[in-house]
Amino acid sequence: MLSCLVYLRNSSPLPLIWYVVLHSSLMGVDGHVSQGPWFASVLTLKTSAPLRAEPKKKKKVDPRREQMVRERLKKKLKKLERVPPELIPIEDFTTPAKYMDETRVRGAPQLPFEESERRALLLKEWSRYKQTQHRAEMEAVGLAVEAQREALEELRLESEELYQAALRPDPLLFPFNHQGPSYTPPKAQYEAPEGKYNNITKVYTQ
Amino acid sequence: MAAPCSRMANRPLWQFITNVRRTGLKHTGVRQISLSSACRAATQTRSKTEGVASPWKLYGAVCLQRLPVISQERNPIEDQFAELMHQMELERSLLSDHEQRLLEDSERMTRKQADNYDSDEEEADYGGQETITAQDQEDSWEQKLKHFQPALRDRDVGGTPLGSVERCLGDSLVLLVQQTVGKETIWLLPQAQWEAGETLRQTAERGLNSLPEADFKATFLGNTPCGVYRYKFPKEVQTECCVGAKVFFFKAFLSAGSASQKEPFLWVKKTELQGYLKPPYLEKVDRFILNL
Repeated sequence: MLSCLVYLRNSSPLPLIWYVVLHSSLMGVDGHVSQGPWFASVLTLKTSAPLRAEPKKKKKVDPRREQMVRERLKKKLKKLERVPPELIPIEDFTTPAKYMDETRVRGAPQLPFEESERRALLLKEWSRYKQTQHRAEMEAVGLAVEAQREALEELRLESEELYQAALRPDPLLFPFNHQGPSYTPPKAQYEAPEGKYNNITKVYTQ
Repeated sequence: MAAPCSRMANRPLWQFITNVRRTGLKHTGVRQISLSSACRAATQTRSKTEGVASPWKLYGAVCLQRLPVISQERNPIEDQFAELMHQMELERSLLSDHEQRLLEDSERMTRKQADNYDSDEEEADYGGQETITAQDQEDSWEQKLKHFQPALRDRDVGGTPLGSVERCLGDSLVLLVQQTVGKETIWLLPQAQWEAGETLRQTAERGLNSLPEADFKATFLGNTPCGVYRYKFPKEVQTECCVGAKVFFFKAFLSAGSASQKEPFLWVKKTELQGYLKPPYLEKVDRFILNL
């Protein structure tokens, strides 16, 4: 009973009978009296604004509004960023304007009949020459492939273990570098002169 | 006999699977899987029959090639065609900046030498500067080029010895050594006998490294042999366990090396092999030595 009275310290004193009713019928497990909507509204009347005299704090609505504004801004930013990246222009495909100049055109020579005939015949002979060369190359490669196949066959007949070892790829072979043939052989102890160059290639970033 | 039958079973499979050397590294993996699953039965039967050591002695040999250092001389037709191509390109092209400058300079010269030359007008246009003509620049560039002396292309006109690596810079050369096989000393590709516990490629490397007084650095092209030469020993040498020998060849490119001139080495072109190798040996070796 005493605990009840302490809890309702702000209230005006109600008849004792009512207090007793509260205490006996609605004392729950832990003695908490504010159960049910009717009792809650009664209590808030006692502890409402005229007693406290403070302005209402919009605690939940304001942060929500600010958050909404921020989300809208973020969505707008994302839409702007979704623009596909600009394609890097291929400079080889655009003829620079200075090569469209007419003054650069070389005078087209009028070829005599013999010259054009000679050219046509030379081109045909060249195609025949290249064809025989290609055939010879293909035959040579075919022979080499056949030789390798026979070698592997013989090896298989000898020993399976050696055969499997032969089939394994060599990881150390690649990357394979070799300096190809040049027009003149390399000079012994030749020091190439040092050169400077300005690199003016345009670098594009996406 | 069981052995030939199992060989016959394998042959159709072999015909389907071609081992192209350039993509051999990729294909070997694929082939390994397909063959191991399909031919396991055949291999098992064969291994049973050949449980005893095979009657062939194994050798690993190396076909060491020095690749060409300079480009080859052109044929007459190649010469003509190159000239024609150059001519056609020139006709179909536009004038370059340098050529335009040359034309302008020559025009200016003609205008200067004309009678009604107005030097004030000319110099007003060009700001009165001493310009270097394009022709002068060309001459100065030619002078600079003459200062540089490239090495001669045909150095072995004097006749470098056959054992030198420097001969015939335009062709690819193969190394030949003189070794005693049986009772004879013959020219052949460097080889060594196979020992248990090593792969045939290691045998070939050992054969190359064991050459006396020679230090060749070679890059072997993969683990697969490129050719095989099988021969039977003469009747008197044949025994129960060795009927003959199989020589497996491996390809290698020379990266660096030197040899003393005393030892009998030969660097020969493909066309010159005939003079040194025995005909049956040459027949097998000629197939995988490409002159490309």
